[in-house]
Amino acid sequence: MNVTRRWATTLLGASLTMAAAMPALAEGDPIRIGYSMARTGIFAAAAPSQENAYNLWRDQVNADGGLALPDGTRRPVEFVSYDDQSNPANTVRIYERLITQDDVDLLAAPWGTPMHLALAPVLQRYKMPMVGNTAASVQLRKVAPGYIWFPTSAIPDQMGAELAKMMKAEGVTSAALLANELPYAQEFRSFLIPALKEAGIEVVVDESYPPDIKDMTSMLVDVKAKAPDAVIAMTYPSDAFLFAGQAKELGIEAPFVLSLVGPTIDAYRKANGASVDGIVSSAHWSPESDAWPRGKAFFDAYVEKYGEEPDALDSALSFMSLEILQQAVEQAGLEPEAIRKAIFEGSFDTINGKVEFEGVQNTVTPTGFVQIQDGKIELVWPAEIATSDFQPKQGW
Amino acid sequence: MDTLLSGQLLFAALVSGSLYALVALGLNLVYGTLRLLNIAHGDLVMIGAYTAFGAFSLFHLPPVISVFLAAAVCAGLGWAVYEGLFRRLLANPTLAKRVEANSLILFYGISVILQNVVAMTFTASSRGYQYLDTVITWGGVSMTGNRLLTLIVASAVCFGTLLFLRHTLFGWSLRAVIERREAAQVVGVNLNRVQLITICAGFAAAGVAGTLVSMTEQITPFMGFPFTIVAFVVIIVGGLGNIGAGVLAGFCLGLVETYGIALTSPGYRSILIYGLFVAVLLIRPEGVFSKAVRS
Amino acid sequence: MKGLILGLVCVAGAAAVPMLGNPYYTGVIFQLAMWIALAQSWSMLSATTGYLSLGHAVFYGIGAYVCVLLTGSVPFAVTLIAGALAAGIFAAAIGLPVLRVRGPYFVILTYGLSELVRHVVMRIESALGSFGRMIFIVPPIEVLMWCMLGLATLACLGAWAIRHSTFGAGLSAIREDEVAAETVGVPVTRLKLLAFVASAIIPGAVGGLALLRTSYFEPGQAFDPVISFTIVTMALVGGTETVRGPILGAVALTLLSELLWSNLPQLYMVVLGSTLIGFILFVPRGVSGLVDQIAGRR
Repeated sequence: MNVTRRWATTLLGASLTMAAAMPALAEGDPIRIGYSMARTGIFAAAAPSQENAYNLWRDQVNADGGLALPDGTRRPVEFVSYDDQSNPANTVRIYERLITQDDVDLLAAPWGTPMHLALAPVLQRYKMPMVGNTAASVQLRKVAPGYIWFPTSAIPDQMGAELAKMMKAEGVTSAALLANELPYAQEFRSFLIPALKEAGIEVVVDESYPPDIKDMTSMLVDVKAKAPDAVIAMTYPSDAFLFAGQAKELGIEAPFVLSLVGPTIDAYRKANGASVDGIVSSAHWSPESDAWPRGKAFFDAYVEKYGEEPDALDSALSFMSLEILQQAVEQAGLEPEAIRKAIFEGSFDTINGKVEFEGVQNTVTPTGFVQIQDGKIELVWPAEIATSDFQPKQGW
Repeated sequence: MDTLLSGQLLFAALVSGSLYALVALGLNLVYGTLRLLNIAHGDLVMIGAYTAFGAFSLFHLPPVISVFLAAAVCAGLGWAVYEGLFRRLLANPTLAKRVEANSLILFYGISVILQNVVAMTFTASSRGYQYLDTVITWGGVSMTGNRLLTLIVASAVCFGTLLFLRHTLFGWSLRAVIERREAAQVVGVNLNRVQLITICAGFAAAGVAGTLVSMTEQITPFMGFPFTIVAFVVIIVGGLGNIGAGVLAGFCLGLVETYGIALTSPGYRSILIYGLFVAVLLIRPEGVFSKAVRS
Repeated sequence: MKGLILGLVCVAGAAAVPMLGNPYYTGVIFQLAMWIALAQSWSMLSATTGYLSLGHAVFYGIGAYVCVLLTGSVPFAVTLIAGALAAGIFAAAIGLPVLRVRGPYFVILTYGLSELVRHVVMRIESALGSFGRMIFIVPPIEVLMWCMLGLATLACLGAWAIRHSTFGAGLSAIREDEVAAETVGVPVTRLKLLAFVASAIIPGAVGGLALLRTSYFEPGQAFDPVISFTIVTMALVGGTETVRGPILGAVALTLLSELLWSNLPQLYMVVLGSTLIGFILFVPRGVSGLVDQIAGRR
């Protein structure tokens, strides 16, 4: 009896202490945010970088007392999410379910370009706004403006033009292009080639390879023989590992080496260590920037929670998309049309600086490139957001 | 032309080839003795890769040691799968009659379970670790340490297995089971024991391959399927259940892939491999290297 | 006869689902009809002759590809018919050599063919400078669902007709003993080819419809091998001895996964995998056999 009471008192005391320590713990009816995620299937390896950012955002918002509404009240946030098995048909079904069956208050984006494109008509039909994130394709521009927005600036046509500019600025005169056959890489290649031509950079190798490639030796031997100033490898994550390993084996000496998707993944740097210092990749965010102080805080919180670094492209975009939603809700409340108007007209402060939309696109964030320097992701292009200068690659 | 004759390309072909041969060896053993279409084979490669990654990042065990651990883990899975599922399947005449269809679905189920259990345990994030990636140049050929290690270990396991099959009593009984199942039983081969040991050995070979792969590729729960496919291509080209020809076919596939790409363009890589695969099945389904044509 | 009436009642009920006003249910019916159509088409070849195809995604993918190429230039019904025809023609073209291959070799060959075509289409797309194709104007979901329901009905009627004809009897003879069937004068080659083509046509149209549902084409997804695996799984779980089998299998697995993914978001794939294993080991005659057993005991 006594023991029980003592226990009860202790427990009560402990919980009171905890409550006192966390005065702002979220209370009230939760705001429910729905999304689908490629937890299984071909995109599954890429999805955690997105969902981790979502969960981090939710925890931070709830620790702050919840999502703020225009009347100053705060309500906790709760996620409703399902696995879409990397299949856009499932994504469509899940969002229909989220909207009509689960009756969620807000939506967050799924992973991947095909999913975003498949969703656009669904959002239009149900008039539910959604800020996209991990989608990049010129086809996004063809989506009728309405209920979806794309904060990314890593869209292949702009990237092609910017990369050519950057290469020219670094004194590159010849380049070898190796491209995966998957859509994003091919799209980038198709815009890069004319841009290089215009910049007077000669293309000495131009090869495409299938996504399940297992050996690049013959391609890279050819590249090595032609000795271009730049090697532009339009990789996806799995072949990014292959490229790094085999370019090192063959001692590719180009001072400018780009690998399109992959280098910003934490595991890539863990697997390749100092060999991949100097590799350029595509991203428009870096935790090293002083201009976006919240970026470093996001980076630190992410590393603390997950024991690995956020992906400079996907994780950052995912977090940004929720920041935009958060600020729109704070201003406009939970009514979909009001949110939509707020997103269209508003200006948002994110970990990647200011974001404003015109049509479906973010028109503020510049298209950038990052470079791995001493194992860190530094923005090296364009100059106005750069956190460091480009350094020619010094061996592997 | 210089490229074609360079040792560099030959090295690349041999590394790929030895790995293909090793992955296919395990699949071929299981198919040969049990007649099971193991489409979860690549997932065992994945389990091997995670074992090596876990051992390296948690206990700092290098792959040369964790390879034994990976083999043991996969062999254990083989034991569990055989005792738990396939003994029942093979013992039941109704089930055994449609053994292809049934084993296909069973292994599909196993594949789904393995992938998702790993994804839940380790998350689906890709993993990688750095091991032995210094480049050695020898006779004008640059070789990364871990790729050279892959070539040595994979070849050793393949040829070791072949020698074992040729020169030991167990090897003889295993080959007897593959070639003349009923007759083997009549002469007193313990079918159950041979099958159990073979499935464990086949799975262990996949675990070894996984350890090797983990040194150079990104590790994810869903990385296995391409290995399953490559293994099937190899054992079809060599001839289902023909262990020695399978090893040879693995090396040949490495050569065909590497030199095929060099002669045409990397864009044709997959078309080349699947084209070869389909062509062999259509023209000579018993395998390119098999001696006797079965009716 | 009783089965036919029951089936028609089900179809009519399903067709009326959009009137509930909940598009989620319409989506579920679409999915259900899609898998019934695919599994039933598959059974026309594989259940009747025992030639187990692990490559039906190729017909689905070809249908989707033809449909996306034609979209915009012809009405949408025509794109579907063209998709179906293309799949049928492809089957006819490859049928003779492919159907000479038997047993496990046939299983692996069909799979390999599907992958080969996937890579060829990928290569063509990249040579054409196309990076995933988007369709902007798609028919409303109700229309797509009704079309899919029509295809499912057609597949079931087709499968029923085959099984109750001399054609079907010939196919069964092939399954029992192909050599013997040939000696007694069954035109083995012609029958197999016809069954192969028949089983390819509807998946072609299904691929087109499914594409319109997501409005985005990428070869990697249209020829996804998971489609082939799912078809085989559904048919075998349902039971291949009757026309009911594939229907029951598709319904059981679609509803099960629908229930599981909404209630057990983390574990559902593991549960699904275990269910498959349990079915193969303990319910060898599939859901259909299970239903018979229960009905028989009553």
